[in-house]
Formats: sequence, C-alpha cells, structure tokens
Amino acid sequence: MEEPRLILLLLPVFLIQLGLMIFALVDLIKTPYTNGPKWMWAVIIIVVNIIGPILYFVMGRRNY
Amino acid sequence: MNQFGVLLKKEWRENVRNYKLFWIPTVFILLGILEPVTNYFLPQILDSVGNLPEGAVFKFPIPMPEQIIAAIMGQYQFVGLLIIALAYMGTIAGERRSGTATLLYARPLSFSAYFISKWIIASVIALLSVWLGFLAGYYYTYLLFGSVDLMGLVQFMASYSLWILLVVSIVMVSSAMMPNAGLAAAVSLGVIFISQLVDSLLGAYWPVSPMKLPAYAAAWLETAPDLGDFWWSVGVTIVLIALLIVLGIFLSRKRAATTKV
Repeated sequence: MEEPRLILLLLPVFLIQLGLMIFALVDLIKTPYTNGPKWMWAVIIIVVNIIGPILYFVMGRRNY
Repeated sequence: MNQFGVLLKKEWRENVRNYKLFWIPTVFILLGILEPVTNYFLPQILDSVGNLPEGAVFKFPIPMPEQIIAAIMGQYQFVGLLIIALAYMGTIAGERRSGTATLLYARPLSFSAYFISKWIIASVIALLSVWLGFLAGYYYTYLLFGSVDLMGLVQFMASYSLWILLVVSIVMVSSAMMPNAGLAAAVSLGVIFISQLVDSLLGAYWPVSPMKLPAYAAAWLETAPDLGDFWWSVGVTIVLIALLIVLGIFLSRKRAATTKV
C-alpha cells in the first residue's frame, strides 16, 4: 500500500545518487593519476552509497 | 580587464573543472531531502528493523514542519560544515603545494585580489548549495508534513547564510595559514566545533555571539529571536568576517614564501 509512494518519494534521491556516482566515475576514468590505485576508487565509488563519490572527490582526486 | 576579474574567472573555471560546483550542491540537496523523508517513514523504518515485540504500539508525535527544517539545519551544522571544510581546505594551501601558487606569486600579484577572489567563489558555491538544499528540503517537508511560513523561511535562510559566510572565512584563513590542506581542515573544523561547544556550555552568560547565529536563525521559523541580541550577533559576525578577510590577505602574503617550486 505504501510501497509505490515510497518509491516515488525516493526516486529523486536515487537519481541524484546515480548522478553523483556517474560524475565520479567519469572523472576517475579521465584523470591520469589518483591518490591510491584506481580500481580501489572504482570499488569505493560504486559500493559505498553517497559517501563513496564524496570521498573520491575530497581525497582521491589530485588537483595537479 | 583588471587582475581581480582575471583571478575570479580562474577560480570559477577551477571549481567547474574539479566538479566542486556540481557535487557540493548535490550533497546538500541529498541531505535536505533525506531528513524529511526519514522522519516521515520513521514508524515504518522502526517497524522493519527495530525488532519490536509483536503487537507493540507506539504513538509517534508527528513533528511540526518547522522542526523538520530545523533538523535539516542540524544536519548541515555537522555534515555540511565538514563538507565545506574538506572541499575548501586546499584552496590556498593545496595551491602552494601543487605549484600553481608559484606561477601566480612570480607575477606582480595583488594578494587582496587573490584572497578575495577565492573567498567570493567559495562563498557563492557554499551559499548556492545551502539554499538549494533548504529549498529541496522545504519542498519535501511541504509535501509530507505541511507548509512553513514562507517569510520565516526566508529570514531563517538569510540569517543562516551569514553563518555559512563565517564558516567559509574561517576555512579560507586556515588554508592561508597552514602548510598543507589536511592541517587547514583540522584547524578550521577544530575552531568551529570547539567554539560552538564552548558557546553551548557557557553561552548562557553572553546572548551576543556569532556561534548563536544558527540558533537565532532557527528561531525565525517559530516566531522571532530576541531582536536586540539577534542584530548585535549579526553585527559582530559581519565585523568578524571582515577581520578574517583582512587576516587572510595578510597571511597569504606573509606565507607566500612557503610555496614549493
């Protein structure tokens, strides 16, 4: 009874989360160097919800 | 085109290229949405994971919409500030390490233009994130719990924005002062959280304090804070921000020599 409503409510959250993940993955593929191995970051971005991509942006990226 | 405009443009481009312009608002929006949704489904969530005995009945008080907005602010006060500090810890300290600063400092650079351009872009992105987050949170609160007085919401967001500007200033100054980005984040978060702790423990003795600004902001949602205390706190905060900017300019000039070649 509540199920469809919950899904409808959380749909934007899922989409935003997916967007964040795609942003992080695209950046990971394009960047030549990261702090730590690339495959590790790929796993973190995909497996850890929300926090994973943030961790990558804050700690994984090298800005030079 | 003057130097300030060029530096402003460089800062903006940097924030677009390292995706800060996109991911920081996204995180704030996510935090803003999740707070009302989890509050709304709290009974069901407890039901499915709480391991309650068969037939247990709880009467949950339905929270007021104002309380939900204040709870979003509570999230921002911890996770949000953490993100702002982590995102901008390296603006100056990291630039010195990476060598960008060496290229800049080798030119006749106006350090006030340098620091203020960074401060403006960081503030714009932080404020944008907070506003979008509150709007998203407000939308969900409106759908699930009911409406909040719009005038109160605007006053609340305006007061809270000033607090965010103070946080950005503290982060920028520690980034100018510290030798690396990690230390800058540690110092700025330490200063923010410890002063908040002191204010909440001993703050009963002084009603005027920049640390009370979030509490006063939340009071706008209900009725209004004590106006005298509120405006004095706003004044003190604005003066503090101005002082921090001057200190930041001074420090970024003084510590320019720490840049790596």
